[in-house]
Amino acid sequence: MISGGVISRTDPPGGVAGAEAFALEGVSKRYGDVQALNEVTFSVREGEAVGYLGPNGAGKTTTLKLLSGLSRPTAGHLRLSGSDPILERRKALSSVGVLVETPGTLPYLKGSDLLEHIARVKGIPAKEVPTALSRAVGLMDVREAVDRPMGGLSTGQLRRVLLAGALMGDPHVLVLDEPTMGLDPAARADLRAVLRALRKEGRTIFLSTHLLEDVEAVCGRVLFLRGGRLQGDESVTHGALDPSAVLPRVLRCRSVQPVDLSRVQGALPPCTVMEVDVEMLPDQTFRLRFRGDEPRQAELVESLVRAGLHISRAEPEVPDLASRYLRYVGREEAT
Amino acid sequence: MSALVANARWELLRWVRSRRIFLLVIPLLAGPIGSAIAFLYFRHVQANGTVLTNGTALLLGLFVTGGLSAMVTLDLAALSEGEELSRRSHLLSLSLPQSRAEVLGGRLLLVLGSTLAIFAVAGALVWPIASLVVPVQPTDPAALFPPFHLYEGILALLFFLGASTVTASIITRSASEALVAGVLAGVVTASAAGYLTYLHQITMVFPAVLLVVGAVALGWAFTRFEALDT
Repeated sequence: MISGGVISRTDPPGGVAGAEAFALEGVSKRYGDVQALNEVTFSVREGEAVGYLGPNGAGKTTTLKLLSGLSRPTAGHLRLSGSDPILERRKALSSVGVLVETPGTLPYLKGSDLLEHIARVKGIPAKEVPTALSRAVGLMDVREAVDRPMGGLSTGQLRRVLLAGALMGDPHVLVLDEPTMGLDPAARADLRAVLRALRKEGRTIFLSTHLLEDVEAVCGRVLFLRGGRLQGDESVTHGALDPSAVLPRVLRCRSVQPVDLSRVQGALPPCTVMEVDVEMLPDQTFRLRFRGDEPRQAELVESLVRAGLHISRAEPEVPDLASRYLRYVGREEAT
Repeated sequence: MSALVANARWELLRWVRSRRIFLLVIPLLAGPIGSAIAFLYFRHVQANGTVLTNGTALLLGLFVTGGLSAMVTLDLAALSEGEELSRRSHLLSLSLPQSRAEVLGGRLLLVLGSTLAIFAVAGALVWPIASLVVPVQPTDPAALFPPFHLYEGILALLFFLGASTVTASIITRSASEALVAGVLAGVVTASAAGYLTYLHQITMVFPAVLLVVGAVALGWAFTRFEALDT
């Protein structure tokens, strides 16, 4: 159900049913005259990989800053691992790996200096630090780069060192902002593979990005944000998660016997003929385009059957992610 | 506690990697050595009628050492948080599971602790050097004020300068602007101290006020840092 930027959902996609990893409840954030976030509510369960899509200025980074304790909400509540990331910072962030924006680094420090510091702050015992560091730099393939001053690293190398920092201590939740930004195609593919592997290990991934490919490659669920308001919450592959969401929908039907346009139109409920666009396809197949929720979809199929059409198959066609992005977010920049 | 230590260690690592740590050598070496050179110069001039007493030599030496220590304190304090905030690397440190008080506290522990300790040692070295170059004479007139009071006063001044510079770095989010603010605070303090000395009204109340103002500034710095919205 979408109402005033609030999306509530009951079942996580893909059968994931872990405990709550983090949640936002009516969270708003205002910077002076700018309303960066407006009553955003959603939750992510453990083991989910969620993409967070929206144009520049939509409020994605603001959300991530709130989640990682870098910023305070103007209104609403956040829970990360059951704790408030501002009031109970240590508890909330102890098993979270964060990379927000592109943090500046101190050019004279080595990457290993940064990673060791992160390990110490995260409370990793001194004797386990080399192992943790080795695992993180191995995953990000920066074994040589971490021993050089960060000021001398390329953008991509630095990005991977920072990502290794986020992975220090095997965090259960990863909150990543544009993680593939600045990476070459090979490194981008490698990172997606790493994130997929982490997801398979059961880690929660929250991925804010402009790149739909990242979301398609890594995530099972996607949230759309525009103008500080949540616009949609869908499964990446199956589309709308909420059966009551009123959306443009496409239903592809196949009839057992030959069928023509007038027969299909005649089978539809009279009051909906003008609202449903029928497209005839080869092989006794036709496509219904309409705007509505899932009960409306069922109602249409039922009326076809009731009218005597022998429907052997009726399946919703899910538009690709790019189309859904444009549907929710549009082409204009958020305000 | 462990995060406090980790942040003090982080600050120390930054000093080592940036070679900023060598700044601490300046007051330790240049203070006593510069004082000794000044004493020798004045002893040479003394032959032409100027009288340099042991007490005045001590004041001179403490001023030289204190000035160098102040310079180092300003620099290290400005860079401590100012550098991270201006480079936006606080996006990393402040998203780690640690309280912001531990972040700032750990760093300040090292900055203020080491600069005060360095002056304490370097300033103490002025005494044997002054006694060696300008021995105490029974006929020496009293110095302008007791040297040990100046020693204590400079320690308070360094605390005040460090605290006010760190506070400025959090407000401005810039090391360079914090440095300017710290220098201005030093100039105002030195002017006030000079004027009170001219009026013969300088007492230990002055450094006590500096300590209190420094402590208030630090309290404000912690509050602002806690509320810092990135």
